Amino acid sequence: MAAKGMNLCNVCCLLLYVISAVLAGRDFYQILGVTKSASIRDIKKAYRKLALQLHPDRNQDDPKAQDKFADLGAAYEVLSDEEKRKQYDAYGEDGLKEGHHGSHNDIFSSFFGDFGFMFGGNRQQQDRNIPRGNDIILDLEVTLEEVYSGNFVEVVRNKPIAREAPGKRKCNCRQEMRTTQLGPGRFQMTQEMVCDECPNVKLVNEERTLEVEIEQGVRDEMEYPFIGEGEPHIDGEPGDLRFRIKVLKHPVFERRGDDLYTNVTISLVEALVGFKMEIVHLDGHKVHIERDKVTKPGARMWKKGEGLPNFDNINIRGSLIITFDVEFPQTQLDEQQKEGIRSLLKQGSVQKVYNGLQGY
Amino acid sequence: MEIIHGVQVLVKSVLFVLLWCQCEGRDSELSYVTCGSLVKLLNTRHNVRLHSHDVKYGSGSGQQSVTGVENADDSNSYWQIRGKPNRPCKRGVAIKCGEAIRITHMKTGRNLHSHRFNSPLSNNQEVSAFGESGEGDDLDVWAVQCDNDHWERDEAVRFKHVGTDVYLSVTGEQYGHPIRGQREVHGMKSANQNNWWRSMEGVFIQPSQEPLRHDEL
Repeated sequence: MAAKGMNLCNVCCLLLYVISAVLAGRDFYQILGVTKSASIRDIKKAYRKLALQLHPDRNQDDPKAQDKFADLGAAYEVLSDEEKRKQYDAYGEDGLKEGHHGSHNDIFSSFFGDFGFMFGGNRQQQDRNIPRGNDIILDLEVTLEEVYSGNFVEVVRNKPIAREAPGKRKCNCRQEMRTTQLGPGRFQMTQEMVCDECPNVKLVNEERTLEVEIEQGVRDEMEYPFIGEGEPHIDGEPGDLRFRIKVLKHPVFERRGDDLYTNVTISLVEALVGFKMEIVHLDGHKVHIERDKVTKPGARMWKKGEGLPNFDNINIRGSLIITFDVEFPQTQLDEQQKEGIRSLLKQGSVQKVYNGLQGY
Repeated sequence: MEIIHGVQVLVKSVLFVLLWCQCEGRDSELSYVTCGSLVKLLNTRHNVRLHSHDVKYGSGSGQQSVTGVENADDSNSYWQIRGKPNRPCKRGVAIKCGEAIRITHMKTGRNLHSHRFNSPLSNNQEVSAFGESGEGDDLDVWAVQCDNDHWERDEAVRFKHVGTDVYLSVTGEQYGHPIRGQREVHGMKSANQNNWWRSMEGVFIQPSQEPLRHDEL
């Protein structure tokens, strides 16, 4: 009897657990595709990737796009906030205080700028007549390691935002000619400053965090725009903030397109008898090189797939091209060694004279 | 009930510790000016922002002029903080007090520069914008002077010119046409109330994590 009671108890517990799991609301970790111990940075990365994929403007054929996107926003809003995440981890979605609607636009714009959801860059068409603030261009230096593996850069944008203020202000000021009558038949033309009246605004400095992604394979001079994050315009729209990528030179690898070039110096012995070595690549993995034949100075070795990922398709990689040069022994040889070498190598005297600079 | 409550408290405290550890581990340079950041610099005594534009001095060196402007929404007041020539600073790392930097004008790519010429209005030392695409010469280097370890964003600092030992200053003289109302920016020998500058609007780069490594075991 006791055993049966225990079994029933277990089944009930299991049922209760399953029901509560189902009713507990959405699994935010699953929506973002991160583990429960993910750092805030991992969560941001996951959000950014998915936000670009799931945005309704990009998925106009999918009737569930709005819901999926809303789920994504809710997941990010909770998991990126320490307080809310703690509550969610302890009590599930139901345990969170109040609804968390809206402000998904706020989250989205920290990754793409204030008007970043206008995919396709229709900005030019819309504001031909609206005055626009200046653009800001920031040269972002990136290392070749970052070009190979990708990375995220967080920035804090502190900018003036126009906020309503009490009263009115003068706007659209211009010079106009006024004619005043001084007496019968006598007039005077004067220049006068004439202004319109507009609602008063004041510029208040506000801050927000933006996240720029250094995508794999990114090329020099490529730009990442954040729409609306530039300079404000008191009578119009703010300009854009653009991050311009500047790839730094690397001590080991030289980039040409998607290919990487490097040089290796080997000893004369290695050049003649062969050698094995490893080159440490940009992300730490090792490229094995083996030669058992003679390696001439200036010889090149192509390693396919060991270059940089292509920006448009990161599954395609360029090649690593290794050029060998030979270091001759520093010490001079004595007569005995010279005889030894003559008999070992059995190479006759060559002594060919030619114009090497013109390809003869 | 007691047990459940106890477990809840335990879970919460574990979570708290984990999150706290995450915070400590993450580099936060939120309150510092970092290498690569774009800033506007405000002279605290005269309330004008360091500014430059494609207008050359009519005297002295004839190089691009550097002035102080009152308005806060001009993108010609943005300057990028960079390392010394041939010594790039690591992106996102806070600038140390005493560190030598270059201050590059965003729009024109010229570096804040000074040399032994007289400034047009006050006869102090001329401060100009010099170079092309961020490369000029050794007179582009300035040392950040401040009290703490690093240059804090809401702290006033001084900029001392490394080549000639003058401080970046404003004393209030105003230009006429075509840059009416803009103040003269010059270098002066003495450290006083006129050479305090504070970072205002800008884009402040935070340090990044190192990109993923795949070391073979």
